[in-house]
Amino acid sequence: MTDTTSTLAQSVVPMAQDLFTAMVDGEPGLLLPMEALEEPITDPLYAWVDIVGPAVSRTLVVTARETADRLARSLLLKEDDEPVTLEDVQDALGEVANVVGGNLKAMMPEGSSLTLPVVEHAEPSASRPADHEQALLWWGGPILIQLWTSTNGEDL
Amino acid sequence: MRALVIDDSRVMRRIVASTLKGLGFEIAEAGDGRAALDLLEAGERFDLACVDWNMPVMDGLELVQEVRKRRDWRDLTLMMVTTESEQNQIVRALAAGAHEYLIKPFTPDALEAKLDMLGLLPQKELA
Amino acid sequence: MTVSTQSFSFVSDLVRRHSAIQLAPGKEYLVESRLGPLAREKGLHGTDAVEQYVQRYVRTGSSGEIVRVVEAMTTNETSWFRDTSPFTALRRVVLPAHGDGDLSIWSAACSTGQEPYSIAMVLAEQGHQRFRILATDINAQVLDRARGGRYSQLEVNRGLPAPMLVRHFRRAGAEWEVDPALRRNLTFEKHNLLTPPPGVGTFDVVFLRNVLIYFDMPTKQSILARLRSRVRPGGYLILGAAETTVGVDPAWERVDGAHGSIYRLRGGSA
Repeated sequence: MTDTTSTLAQSVVPMAQDLFTAMVDGEPGLLLPMEALEEPITDPLYAWVDIVGPAVSRTLVVTARETADRLARSLLLKEDDEPVTLEDVQDALGEVANVVGGNLKAMMPEGSSLTLPVVEHAEPSASRPADHEQALLWWGGPILIQLWTSTNGEDL
Repeated sequence: MRALVIDDSRVMRRIVASTLKGLGFEIAEAGDGRAALDLLEAGERFDLACVDWNMPVMDGLELVQEVRKRRDWRDLTLMMVTTESEQNQIVRALAAGAHEYLIKPFTPDALEAKLDMLGLLPQKELA
Repeated sequence: MTVSTQSFSFVSDLVRRHSAIQLAPGKEYLVESRLGPLAREKGLHGTDAVEQYVQRYVRTGSSGEIVRVVEAMTTNETSWFRDTSPFTALRRVVLPAHGDGDLSIWSAACSTGQEPYSIAMVLAEQGHQRFRILATDINAQVLDRARGGRYSQLEVNRGLPAPMLVRHFRRAGAEWEVDPALRRNLTFEKHNLLTPPPGVGTFDVVFLRNVLIYFDMPTKQSILARLRSRVRPGGYLILGAAETTVGVDPAWERVDGAHGSIYRLRGGSA
């Protein structure tokens, strides 16, 4: 693991927890790191942002539709049983990827920029496995954050 | 007080808007910098604009630069509300004419504190 | 995992009286999560641990326990310039009266350091070069954080103006670190307000905000008397917005025309 990747890796959990504490849950302690996923995520949604420029990086957030629905409800201040549209869910998960990715960018060499989030039912293509991955648990549902980094200009 | 909330994420617009509404602001929303400029050019007046940085069509930094070119909009307080958090980016936005800078993620009380310092909160009642 | 209506209103009333922070109904979960650790320290476990804790230890009026409860409930409220009046007073009242000579400041009960660094920022922005700030707290853990001068993104968001952030801090990984140039004039020391004041010499200004509210009248009087012995005549005392020396210690006079709770020690020139 490169120095940049290990710095980013160490920051993913506190960063994601800050985001959930401040904007999703309103209190700490509900987003917990896990050693690894216990089983593959079912009915997954993928949200990612890329950092392009001198530093190249991708932050990918993966979670089940059910967890993404709960996330959208929390962010939109909706009741537990209120329906949310796929558009709301994509917007919410995209913003999570955006905030995590944007904050990670501040720890990378300067002068790079952040792409707008993309949210899909299919995994983005990548030439190699992620450089780092972190599994998290939120309200019983797993959330996986994967990072790719490259500081020598090579593609991801 | 009127506020314009500019962000391409509806979720984020709603979060900012709900805090501002709770503080007594009347809200309008725009999904990118161009849409915000259109509202201003149509003669809409605001006391505060909360501006995301990364947006399609026209980004927040460009919007700040455009707003600052117009003398008749100089009373509009501009606050970046963005995930961009490098020191240099904050300096760039302030140099372009933003008055304040709030980094995502933020809590409602952090937004309120920024408005307090900008003199945009109604006088607090004594507890 | 529920705290009773009576206990909730008791705690929210306590917090409101001691900190002016409102705890609206519906925030029961906050009482549960913040007081849970205090309850566990007392050996209380299970779903009604917090309820038991409030009944047995807080409602009995133990002042030590009340301080801990209020601290636990308000601990995230530490901010930089959120209450601007003390810093306005420093700029508009204290500095003009003092001139540009050496300035000695004591930031008492400085918690995680936002106050002493804010004072240093105000002085730096005013071009005041010659000052030293002694920052103290009774809690060694928060004092270590203060000394470290590193703050999370969430912490710098809370009440620190962006122009000051970029001038006086630099990014350190996921955190922000106070510029060493600003830290040069600060000293941190553990200190209990119920013992004689720390350091040597006299202070020109003492910041003692939102501390006296926790104590009863005789304790307030003894704290102010000890403190006064180390403030030069004409020196200033800056209290929290809800605090006053009136009716506590007649040695202080309120500074007219300044917003906030600013007092001057009688005697001396200015």
